[in-house]
Amino acid sequence: MNGKSDKQYYGGCDVGSTTGKAVILNGAGIVASAVVPSEIDPAQTAEIVLREACRQIEGLRDIRDLSCLIGTGYGRNEVPFAHENISEISCHAMGVHFCDPSIRTIIDIGGQDVKGIALDEGGGVLEFAMNDKCAAGTGRFLEMMSRIFRMELDQFSELSLKAERVIPVTSQCSVFAETEVISLLSKRKPAADIAAGIQAAVAKRSFSLLKKIGIRPRVTITGGCAKNKGLVTALAGFLRQEIRPLPVDPQLMGALGAAVTARLRAGK
Amino acid sequence: MNFDAWQAQLQLVLDQPENVFIERATAAGKIPLGYTCSYVPRALLSLDGLVPVRLRAPGVAGTEIADIYLSNVICSYTRSLLEYALDGRYGFLGGWVFAAGCDHIRRLLDNLAYLVKPAFVHMLDVPHRQGQAALDWYVEELAVLCRKLNATFGVDTGNAALSKAIARQNRFNQKLQAIAERRKEKQPPLSGVEFQRIMIAALCGGQEEMLDDLEKMAAALKERKIRKPYRARLLLVGGNIDDIAFIQVLESCGGMVVADRFCTGSIPGMALMDEEGDPLQAIARHTLSRIACPRMMEELDVRLQAILQLKAEYTADGVIIENLKFCDIWGIESALLVQGLRDAGVPVLRLERDYRLSGEGQLRTRVQAFLESMGK
Repeated sequence: MNGKSDKQYYGGCDVGSTTGKAVILNGAGIVASAVVPSEIDPAQTAEIVLREACRQIEGLRDIRDLSCLIGTGYGRNEVPFAHENISEISCHAMGVHFCDPSIRTIIDIGGQDVKGIALDEGGGVLEFAMNDKCAAGTGRFLEMMSRIFRMELDQFSELSLKAERVIPVTSQCSVFAETEVISLLSKRKPAADIAAGIQAAVAKRSFSLLKKIGIRPRVTITGGCAKNKGLVTALAGFLRQEIRPLPVDPQLMGALGAAVTARLRAGK
Repeated sequence: MNFDAWQAQLQLVLDQPENVFIERATAAGKIPLGYTCSYVPRALLSLDGLVPVRLRAPGVAGTEIADIYLSNVICSYTRSLLEYALDGRYGFLGGWVFAAGCDHIRRLLDNLAYLVKPAFVHMLDVPHRQGQAALDWYVEELAVLCRKLNATFGVDTGNAALSKAIARQNRFNQKLQAIAERRKEKQPPLSGVEFQRIMIAALCGGQEEMLDDLEKMAAALKERKIRKPYRARLLLVGGNIDDIAFIQVLESCGGMVVADRFCTGSIPGMALMDEEGDPLQAIARHTLSRIACPRMMEELDVRLQAILQLKAEYTADGVIIENLKFCDIWGIESALLVQGLRDAGVPVLRLERDYRLSGEGQLRTRVQAFLESMGK
């Protein structure tokens, strides 16, 4: 993505509640990336994911060989050998801007947070809004719901796309929503319609968060939940516009933004 | 004693509702009177024989019992106070003086009177507008309180006693201001957390005892070598912030709170009162015109301009507006101020919070992202 190439490497490590992500850049662009499940210890998660990414580059033996490393995500202070830490809000903005400078609005749906981010022309954060404490509308919520259906998240996503109609799930609390879904299933309501209702509930919460910061085209989605096609479809319905796909795995955007910033810090 | 040792001593004062200042004042025969709002004039509760205590619930872990009596749209400060009152944590108080600042606190009074039945409770009615009629009304309200204080506690509430209380309050405010002024410097010799420790200790019974220390500490600050590195200077605006942990989080992300325009801060309530003329009029005038609470009607623009002026005066890079969840008054004000400040080109972050610090990780992310968005 960048014309120049050299032997210097710049790392970004995003330690999230569900997964740890790492991206390594050189002067030419992305040369390695990794995603691992989060450990209890955020420092351990960071070390595992960074080692995994380093392993993909011949000649890069150790995390300490990175010219600049930036930590982000909730465990950003715990990334070993990091030169700096930056909030995931700034990193997602930077990562998305690196991939597509025309994006002005991001919805980032992670494991425990939902964030709406408004960008300026240079990838700077104009405004942001976050969910407050409650896990409803996050990846964790969807994980809980898919467990009721005895499915993995991707299967759950596929199921929701087969719905003929959407059965609304009205409970905002994750625990009460689980009760509501179990009750609907016991009434023999179609599983696909209930799954679509769950996706719509999450999409609606994300939409309301975006409304707080203002929705300017183009819009994209980042975070692990960006891979949930059912959710993206439901959200696009509320937004009444296309959700722009990114050329890089949207789950990596935080780590990518951190790596891009690391490269900028090194003056490259 | 150096500044750091003094701070460590003040920190101990903040950990309990009843602190060493209150214990010593009580041992000296003074009566501690609790209050919850800046519209209760501290000067009146500082008359000889009394000691004012701004009520807090430090370390409150939950409000299970208070939740039985208060609806779920009452703010967590109010709930925490009722919880502690029901736990008997304010048993040291000789009485409670309330101001009708907001409906939540009025519900606290209702429940307190019903459940705890304190020996002395008084509610001041406070006008929502300024002007001569409002002033006359409020002076009469204060006169009623004076009569009650005299009848119940036998304290002298004559003009000479009131003038003495005003002079004492002014002396404290002047000495505090000498320290507050240092926060305007490019490298303030004390952090926002350290200043707030002084404020809370003073508000919670320590004012009289701290009077001499303030002067010594202002001198000690001139020699202080420690300079806290910071990324951005912040003006903190909002309602009741009596837990320094909140400011600690802002400063641990690289912010430096240089100005405190909130109920338990020094701006603007610590401005001086007139020492000439009728003392009750002076107290009433000061309270009605200087507190600048959003409960006052038709003054939004005045409050907005005051914030812009403070930002310039303290060379703040950005403004953080906080409000307790379910606080109607600051909730609405925050939304309007955010818009007004953005229109004026001022970076602003709005934070809604619970009385007890919670969700620290998310709070850090918000604050750090705000500082980064300012290019800091």
